[in-house]
Amino acid sequence: MRTALSLALALVCGCGRNQSADDRGKSPVVGVSLLNMANEFIVTVHDAMSERAAETGVRLIVNDAQRSPERQVQQVENFIARRVDAIILNPCEMEASSPAVRKAVAAGIPVINVNSETAAAPAAFVGSRDEESAELAMEHIARRLEGSGGVLMMEGYMGQAAQLKRSAGARAVLAKYPGLKLLAAQSAEWDRAKAVTLMENWLQSYGSACRAVFAQNDEMAMGAMLAIERAGRKGDIMVVGVDAIRDALKAVRDGRMEATVFQDGRAQGRGAIEAALRLIRGETCEPQTIIPFKLVTRDNAEAFQ
Amino acid sequence: MRYRFNFETFKTFARVWRGQMGIVAALFVTCAALTLLLPHFIGVANLTNVVRQVSINGILAVGVTLVLLTGGVDLSLGSVVALAGVTAAHLAHPGDYPAAVPVLAGVAAGAACGAVNGLLVALCRVPPFIATLGMMTAARGLALALSGGRPVSNMSEGLTALAGDVGFVPAPAMILAAVAALAWWSLRNLRQGRYIYAVGGNEQAARAAGIPVRGVKALAYTMCGALAGLAGVVLAARITTGQPNAGAGYELDAIAAAVIGGTSLAGGVGSVGGTILGVLLLGVIGNGLDLLNVSSYYQQIVKGVIIVGAVWFDRRKRV
Repeated sequence: MRTALSLALALVCGCGRNQSADDRGKSPVVGVSLLNMANEFIVTVHDAMSERAAETGVRLIVNDAQRSPERQVQQVENFIARRVDAIILNPCEMEASSPAVRKAVAAGIPVINVNSETAAAPAAFVGSRDEESAELAMEHIARRLEGSGGVLMMEGYMGQAAQLKRSAGARAVLAKYPGLKLLAAQSAEWDRAKAVTLMENWLQSYGSACRAVFAQNDEMAMGAMLAIERAGRKGDIMVVGVDAIRDALKAVRDGRMEATVFQDGRAQGRGAIEAALRLIRGETCEPQTIIPFKLVTRDNAEAFQ
Repeated sequence: MRYRFNFETFKTFARVWRGQMGIVAALFVTCAALTLLLPHFIGVANLTNVVRQVSINGILAVGVTLVLLTGGVDLSLGSVVALAGVTAAHLAHPGDYPAAVPVLAGVAAGAACGAVNGLLVALCRVPPFIATLGMMTAARGLALALSGGRPVSNMSEGLTALAGDVGFVPAPAMILAAVAALAWWSLRNLRQGRYIYAVGGNEQAARAAGIPVRGVKALAYTMCGALAGLAGVVLAARITTGQPNAGAGYELDAIAAAVIGGTSLAGGVGSVGGTILGVLLLGVIGNGLDLLNVSSYYQQIVKGVIIVGAVWFDRRKRV
């Protein structure tokens, strides 16, 4: 309902072609196209954006691309047709979402990419460096194993930017520790059920050699943890994930999972609105705002709720 | 009477065995090859793993076999799995209800989806592909709405026990065995079971013979939905959460298993025994590829080739 209302408002406001928000004396309108509102993390980013927008008097038009880059390009075309003051893009895909950025830039509307990147350059990027999450996780494993032991890596959906970058980050750390041996790396497609199955199979092949599992997201880490617990191997294999979802934070607090890595979705969402405001007002804006990841272990888990 | 029943049973086994020679051989060769490559493949621990891992796809595949036999198809299975899992997880917080309540609620949610599919296909004459495609989207949306897009966790041990072991045997495998035995027996011995084959074999002839075609179809879809609900509850127990995004693409694995096991997409031909063999073949291959540490890219290629290859081999043999 609120979306429908803001859509209608945007249509009315958008009629004054080539007028900036200040000329009209009305609050600026920002079009937002999100990767997927069925994703817990994206919902967090969205909630932080709406909160900051309400505080600063920005009107948001929020569209859900439901993982489709093609739908995302259409949504941005609609934003351009309505002459919004800025566009916040949460790209579905690095290459396929790029036409959206190019079209908006050609129409003279500033684009802010949030959370992930596109090949085409936007006016500003607010997000985190995905490699860093895997680096933090793998460094922690190296520390806990004192630099030696067998490690398994569960990868995300093959070919997605997050999978490629998290794999690169993890392998860069592994290269520094010759005593850490990567026994196997396989995809469980970000999925908890697939991760349970993969871990059950891995326990057959690498059960004796394996000391730690690095899962590229917490859903898979939860799955690995369940399989390890059911096999009665909880004490000797540690599990580290990424994302700090609620289930994982609880598991870390309870000592079932070794660690996870927190990606600050709230800071990303609020940062995107800040960047949009600066660009609309014609102020200078950092081309890249990098929000750091944070390692979450049992010692500091209480702080992330 | 008793003797006759046993004799009939024996004859059926013999017939199933003859009809399934191709897939039995494929299963045997795959297992032998994996045993040569990995001695621990054939170990009790790993075989227990395989039967546990195939259980969910097995329950779905038995259900979809019923629908395929009528000449229909059900694309909504994966979404119904998610909906049933979320429904069960909502009712399964510790101290809420005894475990039977979330289990029955999950199965009922699945049966309700199946009944809607059945009514759309049988009464409204919507093509099964379209009716169940609609349900696929709607059930997914309902699962997301019910859970607010987040996993429903904090599950009681009563429900997670559904994915545990009873002695050495995984509970999900026992559930699959019970479901398969019941479906096999019903298809052979109940009037409705024979009607399912008749409707899929030749719908007009079935109608002329006075078989209540609409009722039979509605029943098949409802049973298929109920089994998808059961699979969803078992999956939720296995991952100790109700996941609104769970089950994506499960319908295709289930249909693939049924077709590999000799079930015809045109209806009227197929058996529960064949479907179970198809489920086992897919499960053994998935397990073996993980044990061999085959790259995720190549695993997908191998699975694709095997699905098409098995069906091609089967058709060639029949023609």
